[in-house]
Amino acid sequence: MDSFRQAFDLLFSLDRELLQILGVTMRMSFFSTAISCLIGLPLGALIGTKSFKGKSFLKKLIHTLMGLPPVVAGLFVYTLFTHYGPFGELNLLFTVKIMVIAQVILITPIVTGLSSSFIESTSKPIIETARGLGLNNLKIVGLCLSEGRTSLVSIVLTAFGRSIAEVGAVSIVGGNIQWKTRVMTTAIMLETNKGKFSFALALGIVLLLIAFVVNALASFMVKEAKND
Amino acid sequence: MIEIKSLKKTYRERTVLDIDKLVIDDGTILAVAGANGSGKSTLLRILACQLKATEGEIASPENSLYMPQQAYAFRGNLIDNITLSGADRETAKQLLEKLELSHLSEKKATSLSGGELQRLSLCRVLSRKAELLLLDEPTSACDVRGAELVVNAIKEYREENGCTVVMSTHAPALALKAADRMIILGNGKIEADGTPADIFNKPETDWAKSFTAGWKTDA
Repeated sequence: MDSFRQAFDLLFSLDRELLQILGVTMRMSFFSTAISCLIGLPLGALIGTKSFKGKSFLKKLIHTLMGLPPVVAGLFVYTLFTHYGPFGELNLLFTVKIMVIAQVILITPIVTGLSSSFIESTSKPIIETARGLGLNNLKIVGLCLSEGRTSLVSIVLTAFGRSIAEVGAVSIVGGNIQWKTRVMTTAIMLETNKGKFSFALALGIVLLLIAFVVNALASFMVKEAKND
Repeated sequence: MIEIKSLKKTYRERTVLDIDKLVIDDGTILAVAGANGSGKSTLLRILACQLKATEGEIASPENSLYMPQQAYAFRGNLIDNITLSGADRETAKQLLEKLELSHLSEKKATSLSGGELQRLSLCRVLSRKAELLLLDEPTSACDVRGAELVVNAIKEYREENGCTVVMSTHAPALALKAADRMIILGNGKIEADGTPADIFNKPETDWAKSFTAGWKTDA
């Protein structure tokens, strides 16, 4: 109960550092989700609708990458962007940008895998019917998106959930630097290591509250669209 | 005119369609019958450019419409489901009336029964103009009255537009009432070709006899 009280105190005290951490967390999660969806959704649509050589292997590869351990992704990005790495000159290590890059590597396979499965199973009758009516590709894509919006919102939420809850990759490439790259999850890890369990738990509750609000908003939007 | 030459469709080693020659004159209503897996839907899907043939030549009108076997209900009411293909509301209402669905026009399409949904699917197709109409088992989910409405609507559409209709069916009544010509497919090959009445009453081959024997009890 103490943790709950502390969580609400934290939220309503408008603590400057907490707000900054929240800001970085939301910025990182928003951009990594958006970029992953921009890459993953069209890629998933392509894999879901087209037949090509090597499709089965590509699907296996994507399914494997869906389970990519975050620390491995973090290490991979760290190696690429470290001072001696191929992209070292960009000086992106320990910035929010590199955290977004690591997250995109982690989340894009999830978005691609889920959307290709959805399109393969659900969109087939939609595409068949729409093509049969002689509708153009743009209209067909519009119909698929409209018909599958509940599933698509679930995919986006899954990506956002993965992004906001991630700790391994962002701590490796971001470094958990105060006032710069510290996010909710790395802050929780730090507070736990310091033995401030109650405060860490309070931060966890704040993180859950954010996830809940985002989910509730998405559910509301889907419900509104259904009633149209 | 539709002209098919040496058409083959194979899945791995299995040949599901093997038509040496088939010519369909303009304005004909052709019923394609045959047992499950005989290649009826494959033929229609190839003609509708939904499926690629493994080999062969097809000359058919580009302006075609295709109604799949599994009718799909898009979100929205019945009118929305018809107007999404570009038809105006008035046309949609007329078609719904013709297929006796106007009392459901404001209902959600997802709430329809199988037979109603199949009639809605036909409305959607008939709301557009085409030279070739491809219908995959258009009455499979309909009751007697529903099937009669479908037959009348297809014939009326053909009269108004002068188009060619190719429809697959398991229903002898549909073939007898609507079609000018019928082919029976067996293992992907044409086993019988003629008017539905001739094939039904005077089957020439043993294969056609055994196939239509089952129909005589149904019709």
